[in-house]
This record gives sequence, C-alpha cells and structure tokens, in this order.
Amino acid sequence: MRLITHNMLKCHVKNCDNPDKQFPLRFKGAELEQVEAERNDEFLVRMIPRLDWRALLVTTKELGIELPENIPEEPENDDAFLQALHAAILETHVKEGSMVCNGCSHEYKITKGIPNMLLAEHEI
Amino acid sequence: MPKFIVYFAQLHEDFRLAELNALSKLENVRVEYDPCNYILESPFLVVEISSAEQAAKLVRRAILIRSIIEYWGSGRTYTDVHNEVKQEQERWALYKTCSFKFTVDAFGKSLTQEEKIRVINGFSFLGFEGPIRMRGAEAEFFVCEEHDETREERVWFGRIVGTGSRDLIDRFDVKKRKYLGNTTMDAELSLLMANQAQAQNGMLVYDPFVGTGSFLLTCAHFGACTVGSDIDGRQIRGTAGFKRGVDGIRANLAQYNVESRVIDTAVFDASRNPWRPGPLFDAIVTDPPYGVRAGAKRQGRVGGTKGELSLRLVDGVASYTRPDYYPPTEPYEMSDVIRDLLALAAEKLVVGGRLVYWLPTVAGEYTAQDVPEHPVLRLVANSEQPFGSWSRRLITMEKIKALDLHEPIVPERDPAHKNFRDRYFSKFEPVEL
Repeated sequence: MRLITHNMLKCHVKNCDNPDKQFPLRFKGAELEQVEAERNDEFLVRMIPRLDWRALLVTTKELGIELPENIPEEPENDDAFLQALHAAILETHVKEGSMVCNGCSHEYKITKGIPNMLLAEHEI
Repeated sequence: MPKFIVYFAQLHEDFRLAELNALSKLENVRVEYDPCNYILESPFLVVEISSAEQAAKLVRRAILIRSIIEYWGSGRTYTDVHNEVKQEQERWALYKTCSFKFTVDAFGKSLTQEEKIRVINGFSFLGFEGPIRMRGAEAEFFVCEEHDETREERVWFGRIVGTGSRDLIDRFDVKKRKYLGNTTMDAELSLLMANQAQAQNGMLVYDPFVGTGSFLLTCAHFGACTVGSDIDGRQIRGTAGFKRGVDGIRANLAQYNVESRVIDTAVFDASRNPWRPGPLFDAIVTDPPYGVRAGAKRQGRVGGTKGELSLRLVDGVASYTRPDYYPPTEPYEMSDVIRDLLALAAEKLVVGGRLVYWLPTVAGEYTAQDVPEHPVLRLVANSEQPFGSWSRRLITMEKIKALDLHEPIVPERDPAHKNFRDRYFSKFEPVEL
C-alpha cells in the first residue's frame, strides 16, 4: 500500500468519530519497500490540494521518510519538492504490518500490500 | 465547417454517439451533426469538424469508431459520387504526386476483386500520378458501398484522416490476461468505460467493486492513476476461483505497463467505506454486482448484527482478533447498491468528475425513471446492451455542483432493477402487486 492511499483512509468503526483520533491511522510493525515508479508531475500537482498535508507529515515522520514541511508557492516548478513528494507517496510501499486507530485501537492488517479494512461484527 | 464521415464499428450501436460525445469533450474538439442523420443500422455518420487534424484527434482513442474520413462525395450511385467529387477539382491537385492507396469496402454485401478494381478505375479521373503504396501511403482513399434492405443504397468516398483505437481490444483481450475471473468485463466495454469516464493523465479514478481489476487497467492505460476496493479480498488477491497462484490483480500490471499508475487495492465494503470525508476522485468507474453471478453482499448479518459473537472468547482471545475470523455478510439488494453508489459518487467526486456504471434493467418494464437521480449528479449518457429478457445500461453521470447537504433519493416507484437477482432467477415473470 502506498502512502498516498494511507493518506485517504480513516478508521470507520461504529462510534469512533473523533476526527483527530481516527485519522491518520498509525502504522505498527510496518515493513516498507521503496519501488521506483515513473514520475507523473501532472498527477502530483493535481493531488496536492487533495492530500491532508498535516497528516502526511505525521506519517512520514513516523516512518522516517523525508518530506518538506511546507508546500512551495509553485510546486509545478519545484523539481526537488516534486521528487520528494513522489518518493514519499508513490514509491514508498507498506508491504506488511498494520494500521492502528488512535481512537478505538482497531488494527487494520496489511498483507502483501493490501489493507483489510473490513470491520468486525460489533464494529458495524 | 468541413464535412467528415465517421465510420463506426457496427456493434454496441447504442453506445456509439455517447462515446463520440465523451471524446469530443475529452479532446476538446467541436463536432457538429444532425442527430436525425444518425441511423443505428448504419456505420456512417456525416459530421462537421474544423479540420482534418482535429478530426484525427477526436477519434484517436475511440473504441467504437474505425476511422474518420474527409468527405469527398456520397450518393446512390457511383456516378453521383463522381459528379460530387468533380465539383471540387482544386482538392485533387494536393494528391497528384504523392503515394496513395485505395481501400474499397462494402457493408451488407461482398465485392469480388474484379468489382473492386472496376470501382478504383472509376476514379481514374482524379489523375493521381504518384506511386501506389499498400503500406505507408501518404494519402489513403476510402470507398464503401452501403447496402441495407430497409434503406436506399449509398456509396461513400473520401480520404482517411484518422483512425480509432480498436487495436486495443485485442491487446486487452481477457483471454490474454494473466489474471481474470468469471465476472471480468470484456475488453471492448472496459475500454469504452474508460472513454466515458474521460480517464486521462493527472486523474485519480476509483472502482468500488473492483473484482479482478479490468477498469484499473484500462483507465491507467489512458494515463489515469487508479485505486480499487472490494468486499471480497480473494478476487483482488487471486486466492480463490480461477487463475489462482498468479498474485491476483498485480499479475496484470506488468503485462499492460501500468505498474506506476495502478496505485492500490483494498478490502472493504463500499457501503461502509473508510475514505476520509470530502471529494477525492476524478472519476468512479464500476460494474456493481447484480447478484446473478456475483452475489452482492455487504457487511452485516441477516436479522441484525450480533456484536457479542465477534467479541466472544475463543481459546482465550476475542473471536474477531483471530486470523481465521471472517465477518458476516448479508445480501445487498440491487436498488440499495445503486442508491449507495450514487451517494458515494456525490460525496467523493470532485465537481466535474464522472460516475460510469452498469445498471441492470428488465426488458419490457424499464422506463427512464428507473435510472436513479441525485441532485448533484447530471445524467450524461445511457446506453443499452440487450440480453433478451434483460439488459444492462451503461450510465454516465457528471457531478455538477458541490454536495451541500445529503438529500436522499426518493424513488417514486420501485425500479425494475429492484430485487434484480430474484427476478433474474424467476425469469423476469411479472411481479404480483
């Protein structure tokens, strides 16, 4: 699972609705893999407003991944920024591990890069 | 504006204009035509476009268009065509010395080699002196006879200026894929849906019933980045059903060179999704389960969930924490599936984004009111693929404004696709009121 997707997922257990706690999900036991991917600047620039930058900073710090604190004025012209963003959100894969909710402690397991976000019967 | 002939493929006829309109918008090419001239049984439609370059651009991604032809003449007989062509002699001079080729075809009839040669010779008045090249000709001329018992014969003539992308159909043929399943959509329709969604570079496209991932592949092929989810992890991972052991959806990515753009897949119930609030996607492209081959289901239990069951201790640990725990599911009725899909699209699409999905309908009962509505989604296209007693319709909707408050859809009557699965297995016998 790439970090761009993680940046869009929150905990959805019944009654777990504190927005500060249910997102972003905290990684536990994450096994990372960097996989080179073709850079797509048009996509990166278009996604910037849709990313939750605060959450992305929290997550990248947790995992020890470099990411600039601030988004530049003209990201489309900032090659270094785009390269760092690309490496962080599209080339960093979480292969195994789990994502834990800081609110209700539910653990969403990740297996072979695919997160399981199904809820248990009492959480629906 | 100059005239061109659109040479359509003669199948999925109800989808052809919808694709043409979607491409016009996608490629930003203005195309004008009189809808009364569009005949379902004919592969030809005369349109007006500003230039040959624009015409070529319009059709380059088309799945249901073979080629686009600069209009030189048409009529009931070859003489009529020759006469029309002779009215624009200045145009012939452009092709006097270049290499050229004539393609002679017939729709609704076969022509022998002798007949084709006679047709070509009939155009010798054009006075072309350049070399004839079967491959790589600089100018390719197209003659086609159109025969249909219900209409007058017509002969068409012009110069081919652009071709569509029907060659992709073979490349994306499901039989060639490393991974597929029994619900995998055929290549032609998967590619068509990518055009309806206007999938292109810079976009993020989502499939909430991703299954074996066909739409992730075709939308990514056209440049979009894609994500998918499904309540059934086995279809995504490829751990059950056919083609086991190839690693599921991932197995197809290298084959189609889309590894960088198929971003992720995840396992969850579309109706209980963990996306954070607000618009995230440029398009949602999907084939929801109608409950016929793939039983539509969602998280829950028939009769109501029993939370105590997942919390029950088994060997000292709560049942739901055990690795073999699989949460229960309940049947997901078709009209609920569609209603939830529209609500999902209304919330998660950016304004201007499109929802493209298949709606099963019962032949003979379907009316336009069966197509669900939503205050922020505008119906753009509705094309039918008939299967006899039932049909499915490819619906395209566009989000026209931001979602302010969630207005529930209140249908005036039960649509014909309600309880689709039960109706399918009882052969669509009329429902007793």
